[in-house]
Amino acid sequence: MNPFDVALFAAAIRLSVPLLLAALGELISERAGVINIGLEGMMLFGAYAGFLAAYATGRVGLGLLAGIGLGLVLGAIMAFVSVTLRGDQIVVGVALNLLAAGLTLFLYRLQFGGTQPTTVKMEPYAVPLLSDIPGIGPVLFHQLPLVYLAYVLGPVVAYLLYRSRRGLRLRSAGEKPEVLDSTGVDVARVQWSAVLAAGALAGLAGAFLSVGQVGLFAENMTAGRGFLALAAVVFGQWRPYGVVAACLVFGFTDALQLRLQSMGAVPQQVWVALVALGLVIGAVGAWRARRSGSPLRWVLLGAVLCVAVGALGAALVPGFALPSQFWLSLPYVLSLVALAASARRVRAPAMLGRALPVRG
Amino acid sequence: MRRLAVDRRALRGAAVSLLAVVLALAVSLLVIALSGAPVGDAARAMWDGVFGSPAQFGATLTKFVPLVLAAVGWVVASRAGRLNVGLEGQILAGGTTAAVVGLHLSGLPMAVHLPLAVLAGAAGGAALGGIAAWLWARRGVNDFIATLLLTLITTQIVSWLANGPMEEPTGTLGQSSPVADSARWPVLLARTTLRWDIVLVVVVVLAAAYVLRRTVVGYRLRLTGANPSAAKATGTRTRLVGVGALCTSAAVAGVAGSSLVLAAPAGNLAPGFSANYGFDGIVVALLARNNPLACIPAALLLAALRQGGGLMEARVGISSGLVTATQAVVILLVTGSAWLVERRRSRRPAATAAEQPARVTEGANS
Repeated sequence: MNPFDVALFAAAIRLSVPLLLAALGELISERAGVINIGLEGMMLFGAYAGFLAAYATGRVGLGLLAGIGLGLVLGAIMAFVSVTLRGDQIVVGVALNLLAAGLTLFLYRLQFGGTQPTTVKMEPYAVPLLSDIPGIGPVLFHQLPLVYLAYVLGPVVAYLLYRSRRGLRLRSAGEKPEVLDSTGVDVARVQWSAVLAAGALAGLAGAFLSVGQVGLFAENMTAGRGFLALAAVVFGQWRPYGVVAACLVFGFTDALQLRLQSMGAVPQQVWVALVALGLVIGAVGAWRARRSGSPLRWVLLGAVLCVAVGALGAALVPGFALPSQFWLSLPYVLSLVALAASARRVRAPAMLGRALPVRG
Repeated sequence: MRRLAVDRRALRGAAVSLLAVVLALAVSLLVIALSGAPVGDAARAMWDGVFGSPAQFGATLTKFVPLVLAAVGWVVASRAGRLNVGLEGQILAGGTTAAVVGLHLSGLPMAVHLPLAVLAGAAGGAALGGIAAWLWARRGVNDFIATLLLTLITTQIVSWLANGPMEEPTGTLGQSSPVADSARWPVLLARTTLRWDIVLVVVVVLAAAYVLRRTVVGYRLRLTGANPSAAKATGTRTRLVGVGALCTSAAVAGVAGSSLVLAAPAGNLAPGFSANYGFDGIVVALLARNNPLACIPAALLLAALRQGGGLMEARVGISSGLVTATQAVVILLVTGSAWLVERRRSRRPAATAAEQPARVTEGANS
């Protein structure tokens, strides 16, 4: 039984979209120097607002807008407390997570008692012509409409950050706010807009979970996806395309995990794929090291590990099943290892987690 | 004169915290009223949940213990300028190692076994904190990113352990067997869940307060948090202080975790036994404005909210989610009003932006 079929890749794309939306927003906010640990909470609120609006009006679009709207409100709270009042960003984020977990639970129970009503949900849209391409078509171009938006969001954010004046200001706010301040730009305002953007995208990501995918709301339905998106920003090393790649990897492991759970033992193909992945990592790493002269140690270690585990797994089959917890923790392990491995070359924005300096 | 100023600042801090709590409670009462539930009944249920009977009060104090410990963990790291967001994970790690010692050693007298299990908890927490500290000091990873990611990983590991290698013999319950009796805290009040581990609170809080305020180590720690460059210039090895603070903080969280296993009625390892105590500990520390002694009243308050919220849910049908949300409002109010307490800073001779130490947490410069 081959787990690598069209359905798996289509699921991987679909699962990575909410991560991508939230993570790109978080990237904008973090590059401006504001870390938003409350991403999980913002997504949960977005999911809730999206569901409510769709439930009340029967329109998916209004649900998504409601998600964005509530995301903006939460972004405003975050920005007001952490930027304007200089409260601790981490702590505000923790508060937002608590607020979302508590308030959505309270309100949802209050409104619907023990029931779990369903509402409208987004229907997949097949792009004409493109969706007919064998292989790629059904995976990339037979998706929910919001997925297509996510495709262009990566390049848009990349353009914004690196090619626009706004992006330059944003990145300066995250690295050296005093310099930005001395050029006459209101740093707090730059950070405000970044945090608002992050809130809107997180709200949209949450609404995608509820009205986009399933058309219902469940308690704690984000189930850690906000933290996953946070990890994706770290794993993507604070670069737009890195974040896109990280979300795809996380979405893929999530899809694979779901598939493998229904299959019991890990099929042979997975181990073979792991060996192949190891070889690719090794080759790409060697090529890049040759070009940039960066040290090879960690990349090689990762490659050898992949090959070894893959070969070992292939030899140990049949009947070997990995616990679901392994797959669930994999994205976080990857992020941490990637961060530790590249710490010399890659670092978080200098102002991340700090309040702006008080102006004398 | 100086002494007076300090006292006034502390007083203002306490007033702001108290006001935040009152305001948040008022808001949630308003929410209850708006939701159409009887406010009086809800408040009475809340009160009964905390003080209604010895059993209820005992249960409140039982929740109080891990809250204080987690809060002190946050205080220790935060005074050194480090943000240990991973208390939750360290609680899980400490509880797990304590459970391992409690399960697998047998035939020891309680006088040996129990302290050993508690120490194992401290070591387990410290080990996890140590990884984060290493990542921070050697690999330049942000402390809050490292501790947060480690928490998410640990959650999965503990869930796997409780459902796999450490599961009780029948393998159906998804949790471990109870630890040996010799490793469990004896009951303090009969017919309540309160056990002797509450002594830990006294010991840890007093120790933290003493070390932070009266010893050279504590002074260097506070100096590192308040002004790293000044600390370095006067010969403090700030990186070492940071590592030490993170590890100590994690060790205290690990002790909290050991309590959640060794003093729990079930006395075993179950997935998610940390029950958000790690994050609530941050709330407590904030309310206490990073003062170890003030953690005690602050934790009592939050423990009461937790415990009373449970009965409120059972009796009046108001979801305990409201209690969680109330805590969030408290945090937002306290964090947002930090500038009220710190107002004096602006009257000092203005430092230029570059020289100004980054204010990592409020209260770090006391």
